[in-house]
Amino acid sequence: MKRKLVSVIMSMAMVACVSLPVFADDAAATTELAPNDKGAEELTLWHYFDASADAQAIIDFCNEYNALQDAVYINPTYVSRQELMNQYTIGAVSGELPDIGMVDSPDMASYISLGVFEDVTDQLGDWDEIKNFYPGPLSSCKDADGKIYGLPQNSNCLCLAVNMDALKEAGIDEIPASLDAFKEAVEKTTDADQSRYGFAMSAISTEEGTFQLLPWIVATHNGTKTSLSDLTAADAATGLDVLGGFVANGQMSPECVNWTQADDYNQFCAGKAALAEIGTWHLASIKDDVNGAFEYQVALLPTGDEGTSSSTIGGENFGICTGCKNTEEAVKFLQWFMSAEEEAKWATQAGKLPIRSDAEPVYDYEEDGFKMFQEEMNYALARGPHAEWPTISEQIYTAAQKVFLNGESAADALAEANAVIAPILEANPLPEQ
Amino acid sequence: MAAVAKQKHRGKGIRRENEGYAFILPGVIYMILVVGYPIVYNLILSFKDTNVQNLAKGTSVFIGLQNYKELFQNPTFLLILKNTFIFTFGSLVFQFTIGYLLALFFYKKFTLAGPIRGLMLIPYMMPMAVTGLLGQNLFLQDGLINKLLSWIGVGPLPWLTSTATAMVAVVIMNCWVGIPFNMLLLISGLSNVPEDVYEASSIDGASKIQQFFRITLPLMKDAILAVLMLGFIYTFRAFDLMFIMTAGGPLNSTDVLGTYSYTLSFTQYQFSKGSAVAMVLFMCLMVIGILYLILIVKGEKDE
Repeated sequence: MKRKLVSVIMSMAMVACVSLPVFADDAAATTELAPNDKGAEELTLWHYFDASADAQAIIDFCNEYNALQDAVYINPTYVSRQELMNQYTIGAVSGELPDIGMVDSPDMASYISLGVFEDVTDQLGDWDEIKNFYPGPLSSCKDADGKIYGLPQNSNCLCLAVNMDALKEAGIDEIPASLDAFKEAVEKTTDADQSRYGFAMSAISTEEGTFQLLPWIVATHNGTKTSLSDLTAADAATGLDVLGGFVANGQMSPECVNWTQADDYNQFCAGKAALAEIGTWHLASIKDDVNGAFEYQVALLPTGDEGTSSSTIGGENFGICTGCKNTEEAVKFLQWFMSAEEEAKWATQAGKLPIRSDAEPVYDYEEDGFKMFQEEMNYALARGPHAEWPTISEQIYTAAQKVFLNGESAADALAEANAVIAPILEANPLPEQ
Repeated sequence: MAAVAKQKHRGKGIRRENEGYAFILPGVIYMILVVGYPIVYNLILSFKDTNVQNLAKGTSVFIGLQNYKELFQNPTFLLILKNTFIFTFGSLVFQFTIGYLLALFFYKKFTLAGPIRGLMLIPYMMPMAVTGLLGQNLFLQDGLINKLLSWIGVGPLPWLTSTATAMVAVVIMNCWVGIPFNMLLLISGLSNVPEDVYEASSIDGASKIQQFFRITLPLMKDAILAVLMLGFIYTFRAFDLMFIMTAGGPLNSTDVLGTYSYTLSFTQYQFSKGSAVAMVLFMCLMVIGILYLILIVKGEKDE
């Protein structure tokens, strides 16, 4: 009996030790959400901001708006991204949705189609400030008929992070500006002795992988821009072929197929990759993470001909959910939240790019980096909007993984992807960009 | 008074006949609402063409067995079905044999056997998400497993970046969780074997090996069957381990029916196809369940 007791106590103690760090892993917010003292009508807002900078920002912004007016009280709730997506899908059937919901821009089209978001064209259609929004992010809030369901809140894209010390060591003076120069740089900066790869990117089997792979598939080669609508075109496989060569020659880790974007960024910061594909949001922490170990710079992604570049637009939208308690007031909140002034403030506080041309954020850190990301936005491709984007997306990362892991030729892998993507686009084409 | 007594008597007759139904009623209602309804709903959904385009419009139509037909013609689905069986049998074989050996070992009453047995349960008590993350780190290119292997001159193996080895890694992690569970149930099975049978047999001159095969195994038949059955169900419907550890990748090599059904429904919004996969999963488990019932009933008859 005593023995049994001892064993039970010991195992419970061990389990407690093991599980503690899991429970302790909370996003630390320094200021809390102020309570609803005025007794205003409460509107729930679900978001998945989990980086410390934007997790704090959303609370600050809601506090500010709640103090500003008496009509409604915005109550932000954090739900993990994956869980939030599940909740929207389930909510499409059960009707249990928040009043305002955050969504990753390429997913919005699917949720609009599923009926998760409410048509607010009446409220936002003749808002005169809407012309100041960049067309790419704004288009992701609309359906095929041009009806609007919400507003974009922040945007980002991908650039190349360069370890300048590694580049110098390899005898290269200039940051690569074309795919050929990039290939050479990756080759020369790979150093097995320092266990450093030339390049790191994320090719994971989720939307993140597609996000990072797209610039290498849709790029300008020999003066012509390739397109998702024809993946069997002559140069469509050029970029993926180069990336496949990196993996085959030990210049990029095959583990990229399991890496999230955070992982490939961490590889760069740890000096394990001389070049890496990183996102705008990484600028908020890159200085601390590199911690003076080497010089770094941000450059346009060299995905094709010299002087050209391509990238992918990312970002989050906020939509008014179906069954919102007070649509008028919820739209008013979005109009304030996405006003030029608040946009600029958000961009600097959370390390994002604004989604409207008249917002002028003054970054007091990584100014050059942000400038580069702002320039890259001109070459960045929006994903969709397309209700069947997830299926298209799956084909893209699957094609890349076939090349990286099975050594299949890029042309064959993309032809197989094309066999699935082409009929989808034939039925519902992607919008012109 | 007499009338009341008579009524009571008559009432008693009615109650006698029906009181059995009253007892099973709560169970039946519960089963119909909580188990039956979702299954029927899912079955109906699997015969429709509900997807992202028509869910909100409500324009989905019945398409009969079309989803199932398409699934069984889809090489990805066939690969996933195969993966599910490989994962299940791979896990069952190792976690059962190792679990059984450990059960036999820890059933011996040596010093600290109890506390150590308790500690062995930690992997089982850990949330699967933690196990998945742990597996992800252990099987990295420069992770602990490859480091250990390099000491004996093997590797480094690509583990989670190769379609050939990813499943092995996932099976190993699942065994890590399953072994203590098997051990625990088998120890309780062992304790049901009466000591005096061993005493009697050793007086008759039976060797330890004879004792194991002629006494321990046959007397534990029910426990072993239950362990294998539970193990099969738990393993066959696995989801969280691969969802966290590999996300079904690389290239679907660790995708199983559970994860595939989820991906179809919640990532691709092909709800009816996702339901059809879930139905296939359900049917497989149903067959195993019926087999188990037949074995149990047969066993009872033999006795």
